[in-house]
Amino acid sequence: MWLGQLLNGLVNGAMYSLVALGFTLIIGVLDKLNFTHPEVFMLGGFVGLVSLHYFPAPWALLVAFLVGGAMGLFTEWIAFRRFQSSESKITAALSSMALGLVVTDLVQKYWGSEPVSLPSLPVWMEQNIEISGVQFKYLNFFILLVTMVLMIALHFFINKTRIGRQIRAVAESPLNASLLGIDVKRVSQVVFFISSGLAAEAGLLLSLRSASANSDIGLLFGLKALAIMAIGGLGNMKGAMYGGLLIGVLEASLFVLGLGRWVEITVWVMVILTMITKPSGLFSARSKLQEARA
Amino acid sequence: MIADHLFFACINVLLAWSVYVVLLSGSLSFAQGAFMALGCYCAGVLTVKLGWPLLPSFLIAGLFSATLAMLVGYPTVKLKGIYLILVTLGVTVCVRVLLENFKFIGGVGGFGGMQGADLNSALWTVAFVALCLYVFSKGALQRVCDAVREDELVASAMGIDVARVKLYSFACGAFIAGLAGALYGHYMKFVRPENFDASLSIYVVLYVVLGGVNNLWGPLLGALVMTLLPEYIRVLAEWRPTVFGLAILIILLVRPQGILQFRTNTHRLKESLKNG
Repeated sequence: MWLGQLLNGLVNGAMYSLVALGFTLIIGVLDKLNFTHPEVFMLGGFVGLVSLHYFPAPWALLVAFLVGGAMGLFTEWIAFRRFQSSESKITAALSSMALGLVVTDLVQKYWGSEPVSLPSLPVWMEQNIEISGVQFKYLNFFILLVTMVLMIALHFFINKTRIGRQIRAVAESPLNASLLGIDVKRVSQVVFFISSGLAAEAGLLLSLRSASANSDIGLLFGLKALAIMAIGGLGNMKGAMYGGLLIGVLEASLFVLGLGRWVEITVWVMVILTMITKPSGLFSARSKLQEARA
Repeated sequence: MIADHLFFACINVLLAWSVYVVLLSGSLSFAQGAFMALGCYCAGVLTVKLGWPLLPSFLIAGLFSATLAMLVGYPTVKLKGIYLILVTLGVTVCVRVLLENFKFIGGVGGFGGMQGADLNSALWTVAFVALCLYVFSKGALQRVCDAVREDELVASAMGIDVARVKLYSFACGAFIAGLAGALYGHYMKFVRPENFDASLSIYVVLYVVLGGVNNLWGPLLGALVMTLLPEYIRVLAEWRPTVFGLAILIILLVRPQGILQFRTNTHRLKESLKNG
């Protein structure tokens, strides 16, 4: 019982982490809040739906990442390109929110507002495996594996590649980075591409798990990921990762304890408490003083 | 029918103003739906369970929302921009879940039995709030708010207690939202916690963005247009979120500095200085 719930929580948490990582990338590098992000996450499920119809199953992973990334580029172009200055931070958040509204509405016009079930998955994903008396679908391990690979790849991309170094430079200071000859516009496009690609991938994984694509999850699940990002600390990638896993496991344990009704509220109470006591995030080692100086 | 439409327009105007009041001191709140819900349930409990008359219970409902806003706002108004958006979104979700879990006020099933509000009372409330805001906008307090919004550092150097101004305007916004909620509840006669979810709060903020925030007529216009037009134009009702979203995107793109830019005296002065 416990083990099953724990694994469930971990799988949920891994998906939270993926979406929260996307939020935190954009906040950390460009200092902008992207409210289209939850809707790209939602779109991921529908991309999976379409791609499973036409291509063999593994292709869905790639298609979702690419389409999500393209949506990210589009978001950057339409909702963020004109609002670069630090005063227009909130304006950019609002315009991306408006774009999110449009995306959700178009998806709902095409597929309806009810969940749409996916075509049947490959047999091996549906098979069960027994660990100490509890049945697990292979799919759950597949999801954990994909998220782990994506996170490790992201880590290497940010820390070991040339463009990753440029991204870190822009995160430190866009002005200094541009003086050093870094094309800030291209860097922000790359950041949007990756962050939205991750979100779409998470949406695909979630839809695989529930065997249906749902157009309502943007607000429910996506906003929760936003909260997790805040708990982990704005712009803190490790924080987003641990935060997602923590919240996933915490929610699963609440279910086990029979407190399922309070699941929705825990994450937001944690956000409010974190904001009040330690706005730099639960997992940051920086003191308030350093935060003020930064 | 038309009375219905006008009533909902009035509610939305009140909500838009509640966002506007908070925005005056430079904070953006996504919690107005939550304060509306609190006002609605508070007034409902007073009239249905305790048998109070309408007017005092409405006022108490507004004050109840405002008090809670003070409690929530006290630690949070000092946070800036993105942080405050997150906290207010959190308040919205929390209030909804709390309402769903109290048996006393019906829980998920909803709470009913309120009655008595009609279009007239809504119009009077709008007129009352408009009058207050108008008087406020002509007075010295508006200048204080302008100062806090435009430059906190300068404002505090001039001896303005920035946190307190922000806290009071947050509470005033909650008061107006509470009034709107009380009216809404007593008109609908039956409400459920899901009537007040996060998308309501988001929509209200977007009404204000659409109408502009130069003066109190902007939010009024935005809310009226976005509530009444879809009722009479079929296409608009069907494609409401798309049209709404596109309208906001276009407005924001045409005015890249953002419609959230207030045009104050200092702003005009800066512009005229820049132009020589």
